Amino acid sequence: MINKDMIVFMIIMLTGTFISSIAQIMLKKAAQREYPNKLAEYLNPLVIFAYAIFFSATFCALYAYKVVPLSLGPILEATGYIWVAIMGKIFLGERISKRKSLGLVVIIIGIAIASSRALLGF
Amino acid sequence: MKKENIKWLFILHLIILIYSINGISSKMAASYDFLSKEWIFFYGIVIALLGFYAIAWQQILKHLPLITSYANKAVTTIWGLVWGTLVFHETITIERVIGAAVVIFGVYLVVTGDEEITGKSDSDEPSKEVSND
Repeated sequence: MINKDMIVFMIIMLTGTFISSIAQIMLKKAAQREYPNKLAEYLNPLVIFAYAIFFSATFCALYAYKVVPLSLGPILEATGYIWVAIMGKIFLGERISKRKSLGLVVIIIGIAIASSRALLGF
Repeated sequence: MKKENIKWLFILHLIILIYSINGISSKMAASYDFLSKEWIFFYGIVIALLGFYAIAWQQILKHLPLITSYANKAVTTIWGLVWGTLVFHETITIERVIGAAVVIFGVYLVVTGDEEITGKSDSDEPSKEVSND
């Protein structure tokens, strides 16, 4: 039997990870720039907006953890590697090699294995 | 690998360990009513850790490439299993351990796949050249 509650709460957690990945890319963009002083490294629109996204993502995780076990949470967060790789390619021009693509597929398989029982409820 | 890189990898893992407490605090807060005293306490820890991570991560990214930094975060899956078992007495099933191991292996492929492109360069910048397989 499929655990519908678990699916909903897992999707909430995955959504949080997705928006966090957007923030990661924004931080990398920000880190690549030159700043006049230490303060400007942190207090610039890109970094501030990225942390606003992280802040929102905490609520996704917090809500998801009402149902999702802590032992599964960080495994689901591994989907971030996939988003960062894809967005890194699109926005930062980072290449995805064959080996890296294979790794991303392996991550998906690992997540599927780890969440199988929680999802199917057997 | 340069001594400098090993130093930053060690610092990174220390930061990740501290940050993994975030999961415990999130899970604790999730068990209380929204805006109750306990919820505020645990959510406060979550935000404090996010603040700590904010400053630490920005410094890490200056010394290590994003994908390397992000890949090493895979150990949070192990911390999740450890804290889930120790703090929340979750039953760790075999498929969850195998799944975590597969995820970490996938992350290893992602990291080494990255080296395939950048070669042995210590540079932060992605190389324009593509190595031959």
